Amino acid sequence: MGLLDVLTQVGAVVVALHLVALVVVVGPKQLWTLRCGLRTKLRTIGPSLGVLVTVLLANGVVRNVGVELSWIIGLNITGGIHAVEGRFVAHLQSLATPPLTAYFGFVYVFGYVFLLTFPLVAYLVLADTRPLHTLVVAYVVNYGLGLVCYVVFVSYGPRNFMPELVSSLLYNSWPQSQLLTSQVNVNTNVFPSLHTSLSATVGLLAYRYRERFPRWLPLAAVLSISIAVSTMYLGIHWLTDVVAGVALAVLSVAVAMRVTNDADRARSRTEDSIGGRERWRRND
Amino acid sequence: MSSEPRAESVRRRAVLASLGAGATALGGGCVRRVRTLTGWSAAKPVQIRIKTVPVDADPYALRVARSIAAWFRTAGVDAQVVPMATQELFRQVLLQNDFGAFVGRLPLEFRSPDAFYPLLHSRFAGASGWQNPFGYTNLTVDEHLETQRHRSDGARRTAVVELQQSLARTQPFTVLAFPDDVRTARADAMRDWSHADLSSASGYLDLDADPGSSVATPTGETGTDRTSTLRIAVTDRRATENLNPLAAEFRRQGGVVSLLYDSLGVPAGESVEPRLADSWAFTHDAGAPRASVILRNDATWHDGEPVTPEDVRFTYEFLSDTSLGTADDETTDTPDDPVPAPRFQGRNSLVSSVRVVDSETVAFEFVECTPHVATRAFTIPILPEHVWADRTGTASLGGIEVGPATEALVTSNVPPVGSGPLQFVRNTPREVLVLEPFPDHFLTRDIEAKSGLSMEPEDETKQSMTAANESEQSLGRSAGLDFDRLVVRFVGSDETAVEMVADGDASVTGTPVDAATVPRIGRASDLELLVDRSNAPYVVGYNARRPPLTNPRFRQTLARLIDQPTIVDDVFDGYAMPAVSPLARTDWLASSLEWDGSNPVTPFLGNDGRLNVDRARAAFREVGYQYDGEALVEGN
Repeated sequence: MGLLDVLTQVGAVVVALHLVALVVVVGPKQLWTLRCGLRTKLRTIGPSLGVLVTVLLANGVVRNVGVELSWIIGLNITGGIHAVEGRFVAHLQSLATPPLTAYFGFVYVFGYVFLLTFPLVAYLVLADTRPLHTLVVAYVVNYGLGLVCYVVFVSYGPRNFMPELVSSLLYNSWPQSQLLTSQVNVNTNVFPSLHTSLSATVGLLAYRYRERFPRWLPLAAVLSISIAVSTMYLGIHWLTDVVAGVALAVLSVAVAMRVTNDADRARSRTEDSIGGRERWRRND
Repeated sequence: MSSEPRAESVRRRAVLASLGAGATALGGGCVRRVRTLTGWSAAKPVQIRIKTVPVDADPYALRVARSIAAWFRTAGVDAQVVPMATQELFRQVLLQNDFGAFVGRLPLEFRSPDAFYPLLHSRFAGASGWQNPFGYTNLTVDEHLETQRHRSDGARRTAVVELQQSLARTQPFTVLAFPDDVRTARADAMRDWSHADLSSASGYLDLDADPGSSVATPTGETGTDRTSTLRIAVTDRRATENLNPLAAEFRRQGGVVSLLYDSLGVPAGESVEPRLADSWAFTHDAGAPRASVILRNDATWHDGEPVTPEDVRFTYEFLSDTSLGTADDETTDTPDDPVPAPRFQGRNSLVSSVRVVDSETVAFEFVECTPHVATRAFTIPILPEHVWADRTGTASLGGIEVGPATEALVTSNVPPVGSGPLQFVRNTPREVLVLEPFPDHFLTRDIEAKSGLSMEPEDETKQSMTAANESEQSLGRSAGLDFDRLVVRFVGSDETAVEMVADGDASVTGTPVDAATVPRIGRASDLELLVDRSNAPYVVGYNARRPPLTNPRFRQTLARLIDQPTIVDDVFDGYAMPAVSPLARTDWLASSLEWDGSNPVTPFLGNDGRLNVDRARAAFREVGYQYDGEALVEGN
């Protein structure tokens, strides 16, 4: 019952954010074009989208197995991370004020869901499917590599390792949110921070395709940086996790760009061979 | 000795150089010198990994471990805390003995002297589970443990006092503090939460529904139905995954399992009262008692099979060898090593044989002990032979046998077939476990006896009584089990558990919560704050198989690095009492080991939580250890 409430709450807020952002970022005029060619676009990115859905579904199933496997073969690196970065998160948390906690808590749960889902919708408006395609492939790489890391490394976040210095701000101020987060992940999977890597992925792609939605870049930048900070501020992740998350984001964007460029080149080659290049240009 | 490591290594290098110069040049004297030198090994820094569970699983253990690690580091020990899931901690500590030190709570069973027999007797140093996980061997302690088994009154008390004193000196584990267990419950769900012992399973059976609400928490699923559900929020997920009474790494206090599986008797204070047994009678001759146990004739397993004397005989035999002598039968001709269960070995070691006499009587022969101690053997859960007899084979993974463990030790035992007052309904691993009252259990039927009707053994009467029970559910509820369902739900942390209760999504927090949640509980008007003095202390356990922890003097000095009052104040917010003896909250406490403001045996080497480094170093030097710069080293 508690979980359902939380889900409803998150769903409602995220939908509201979407509506506002669609108007502000995409604009009603461009939104109107969404109706055209939707089917073709979905067909183009269909395979990648299918992989993403499969990865997400597999993630849910594999996660439980992965945790068990992780305890058998995984490396417990909590102590190592703490030795490397010491009390950074504790220092960050010493700046805590109730408004900041409210902001970062909001960003961590609602902002994150919004940040990840909004570009999926916004890029769908574009006639060019490459941004959407790249985004989807980047998500797949993020999840895939993240899952591997979670099996290979066992690590607890700062809130679980140095409770006398770092408190669990999110769960203390909004305990029900843990009903949701524990559905999504377990407390030994903190390295790397997928919150950070997925947010940074969106941020990087917002920069890459900034000419498409000029207003999206500042919003995405602020949100993705806030989310990265929030994971540490709330005591959930170490700085090391966040750094690794950014690295993962850079890697997955690079991989995704390569994949989609290749895919586009391959497609344009085949269209060349059937003499469809002119038509492709005209459509663009 | 270690003050000249450099000179020594230079000399060694010179030896190697002369070796290189030519083997022919080597005289007998030089080789002798090499041999002499190789006898000396370099000193190693002392390293201790302290394993424990994260904050999500236990509010205090990790903070305790970190405080202790800080003191150890101050004294020059390379100490680090390694957090891990509870199940993993138990697996590494209890089954693999792969640890230097661990911080955790002793299970509740360790409050009678004889419970320490399996925990500390050297004959269990090679066993797994809560059977001497420390690898502690001490002949004097062995003697005290034997003596308390077969002597009574004054002699027993003396042995128990001396046992405690030996433990305080030799420190197989350091007792830190007995915490106050903080829980919260919905005031409107049950009457008298504060009178129930919520640390034991039987406490939940005794709960009375509030006559005003007459239900615990109305279930949404059944709408206006009269069913009531007792919802327990716990931060320990193990019971949602595994219900095997023999799996040591999955059992906390064994509470849930004891609701599913009945034993011949149940502990009632210092003594044991009959449960699955109707009665027992002892004959005591020549030191070794015998007992004739008469079973209840109306007990059935949850699958409908009757509970028989054969099941009882089987259980005791099975626990001492879960392979029943059948493991490995093809590969070797030699008699197979027994594969004992990692639980109940102490109590089972009291029993020397069990014989079925007739359809309702079992004859027990015990080892040399008093009948009082012998009755402890009756508190082992009885297992159905028709289920467990098939689990004697060596456990395999995809057809490949891995290690000596039998199927019985590794099965998750879901669904469980027990004979206890509750039966299994369903589970979702990591989320939820649902149990319901077993309608054929005599506890529910004894209500009739309580309310004036007498128990009749005839089948006909039994049926009519069950029917009466069903038609008069309200009567049944108010006298016996006051719920129709028991839902154990796993939540991520103490704060979430308290919030679940506050929101009405749970009736009570099953596992104790952080004392830091007390203000939150106090603010909510419909939450009841329950604080119980717990009998399960927090301890640091040492692995006495690993040098330098093999040395009792070293462990004793480690114990002197720990300031218990500081831990009680800083970590427990005062919701704990420091103690010296693990029996501190029983009548058995040795008066010389009472806490008198400081630890009478291993006083802290410092003041107010601040370790005096010079005193700590002097103490380690005194017991034969040295320092290399800041670091404590062992060896030469």
